[in-house]
Amino acid sequence: MTFIRPIVILFGLVLIWQTIVLVTGVPAYILPGPMSVAEAFLSHTGPLFEHAMTTLLEIIAGLLIGTLLGASNALVMIASRSLKRWLLPVLVISQAIPVFALAPLLVLWLGYGMSSKIAMAVLIIFFPVTAAFYDGMRSTEPEWLELAQVMNAKPMAIIRHVRIPAALPAFASGLRVATAVAPIGAVVGEWVGSSSGLGFYMLHANARMQIDIMFAALSLLCIVSLMLYFLVDRAMIKIVYWQKEGNKKEARHL
Amino acid sequence: MHNSTKIDTRFEGGPAAPSVTLEQVSFAYPGEQIFRSLNFTVKGGQWTCLIGPSGCGKSTLLRLISGTLREGLSGRIHFSDGNNHKGLTAWMSQKDLLLPWLSVVDNVCLGARLRGEMTAKKRLKAMSLLEDAGLGEYANVLPSSLSGGMRQRVALLRTLMEERSVILMDEPFSALDALTRLKLQDLAARLVEGATVLMVTHDPLEALRLGHRIYVMTDRPAKLSDALIPPGSPPRNPGDSAIISMQATLLERLEGRDKS
Amino acid sequence: MKHKYLIVFFIAAALLGGVSKPLAASEKMTVVLDWFVNPDHGPLFIALEKGFFSRQGLDVSFQVPSNPNDPPKLVAAKNADIAVSYQPQHYLHVDQGLPLVRIATLVATPLNSLVVLADSGIKNFAQLKGKTVGYSIGGFETVILKVMLESQGLSLDTVKLVNVNFSLSPSLFSKSTDAVIGAFRNFELNQMDIEGRPGRAFYVEEYGIPSYDELILVARREGTKELKFRKFVDALEEGVQFLVNHPDESWKLFIRGRKDLDNQLNRLAWRDTLPRFALRPGALDRARYQRFAKFLKKQGLIKKVPQLDDYAVELPIVHP
Repeated sequence: MTFIRPIVILFGLVLIWQTIVLVTGVPAYILPGPMSVAEAFLSHTGPLFEHAMTTLLEIIAGLLIGTLLGASNALVMIASRSLKRWLLPVLVISQAIPVFALAPLLVLWLGYGMSSKIAMAVLIIFFPVTAAFYDGMRSTEPEWLELAQVMNAKPMAIIRHVRIPAALPAFASGLRVATAVAPIGAVVGEWVGSSSGLGFYMLHANARMQIDIMFAALSLLCIVSLMLYFLVDRAMIKIVYWQKEGNKKEARHL
Repeated sequence: MHNSTKIDTRFEGGPAAPSVTLEQVSFAYPGEQIFRSLNFTVKGGQWTCLIGPSGCGKSTLLRLISGTLREGLSGRIHFSDGNNHKGLTAWMSQKDLLLPWLSVVDNVCLGARLRGEMTAKKRLKAMSLLEDAGLGEYANVLPSSLSGGMRQRVALLRTLMEERSVILMDEPFSALDALTRLKLQDLAARLVEGATVLMVTHDPLEALRLGHRIYVMTDRPAKLSDALIPPGSPPRNPGDSAIISMQATLLERLEGRDKS
Repeated sequence: MKHKYLIVFFIAAALLGGVSKPLAASEKMTVVLDWFVNPDHGPLFIALEKGFFSRQGLDVSFQVPSNPNDPPKLVAAKNADIAVSYQPQHYLHVDQGLPLVRIATLVATPLNSLVVLADSGIKNFAQLKGKTVGYSIGGFETVILKVMLESQGLSLDTVKLVNVNFSLSPSLFSKSTDAVIGAFRNFELNQMDIEGRPGRAFYVEEYGIPSYDELILVARREGTKELKFRKFVDALEEGVQFLVNHPDESWKLFIRGRKDLDNQLNRLAWRDTLPRFALRPGALDRARYQRFAKFLKKQGLIKKVPQLDDYAVELPIVHP
């Protein structure tokens, strides 16, 4: 049931796209129509999916590593005030540097394989994940913390049993943002130096003025990103199971 | 609601609940002297109510005893059985403080969880507490499915699970509607028999229903009145004539001391 | 009597009309370069600085693209008049439907080469077997490499290909590649010399690639009927002529007002590019262009060999 609306929207967008192409008569090397893109897609499915696999692996690895690093960083910042003073500026700087500027350096240091692309994705998502998780833990309901203190819980136990679960909703939204932007890191990394991946394939098609193939690769990239986002979103809903809107079965008896 | 007496008042027969003594206690927030050389004893094994206008320091006093407030404290707070604060009090707040990701029974066992002392036996105990309080069928649901009164009931059970002989309560029933409040007062009075309870309230009727002794706190720095000792044992009947007349006295004390 | 004034009026109007013709606004033309301004563009800037364009009534401005793949698209979309393009890529563009024709040649020889470090020990092409070759995406470096290897009896799968985008010499220096293709011989070699790590080049046309013009000028097919294009080519011809006759003065003109171009690399590249400029920019060697088209078709890079007139012309003379 939940799929019908997105499909209808997608169909509508494609229709608008085709209409624009027909009405304006824009040449194919500027904006190909959906039919020619579909044709390019079907005649190049092999290489498209191969390259998609590479990019998907880069994104997933980047997400996993970046999330781990970000979450650990947030935990360290919560657990130790003195360390937090050192880590917070580092966090802010990591966000301020445009990844595009770092991309050539990363490729130089880590080579042309997947590691530089994974590093790019990690860099891009590090800040959203850390900031979201840290903020969530920092703004834990103070009376919960007070109760835990009176109950004689050790600081680590309070972090583990109270702060972390309380911060999961914030963490989940950080992770959703990360999933949306991680593909950017992977693709930019591929542009700068790689031999496979959808970003590389798009560049290649563009150089040969095969814009329909480029669009086909772009569409596949969109589909992959959307699927990934959907999966992560579902996972987050399961993880933050207690947040359900409209689940107020108020029992009015005592 | 069940009226069974299956919940054993664990404090009876065991070592008597200690009294809490504040000796020359001074405490200030930056710019605000809340207490100056306060001397006060909470009688062991009895329910003491503290009543007073908002902001006079009642909650602060509770927090000084619970140990969550330390900075700026001078003087001595000690328990008559020789132990220090740490891990010796149980806390109940106006908010139920139920963790939304834990089921009702897991919330009741929160203390054990946090201290890493969780056992199957403790879980069974929590279950039986819930059964006797009429919440047995909700043991495995999330707190969001319960009404405010039910949640505060769970909070009360959580407080009891701690098995502390000193229980501190900060206006625990003030957010509930009148009928629910009365019922919970009855439940609490029955369940915490024998412990040392210090309860802050702004409702004179509640103080009269539940307290063995009632103190009025006023002024800045805060001063405590002499103890008011209502007749009979809690939970008292609100329609009782003695209670009604004492209510008037209490209100007078509150108003009288208010403008100084 | 009245007619006298009328006649004077008409004569005056005619005179003014005649006089005002040279005062009419010169035609604006935008030329999109293929890359940042560099010595490959010498003749264009000499023509600009010496006023050869304005003498033809042209007000020419140059644009630097953000992306080397853009210039032909900009011209095809009528956002610019002329683009600097590459003869090999031009066939691919035409094959994809871009309505462009080559109207002049800027650099009449290939500049592309395969470069290795001089101390790498790779002295002949066959030694590339098993090595890593870096390239920047232009569309068909794999084909060039394949043909070059085949000319030495090797196949493409004996080397490992890696896209290094524009970091050609850095990848050689850091040893992440053993060789790079797509390096312009007038630039990369000089850059490597300056860094103190000289390179050795293998020229593509000596290894099986038919010779071609590295840099050409392209314009929209229908637009070339307009006189301004022939005038442009004439001005360009004057520019090359001056450059050949006065190379030192030309360098000074090239960097006039563009001080950031005055560096050691450009000076060395200028010296190496001088002999490669098309001396007759407007001229078209028909067989040479068809030969390259057939080569690309054979390598499967274009679907069909196009009609020459559809993609390359010599612009007809302008009647004064």
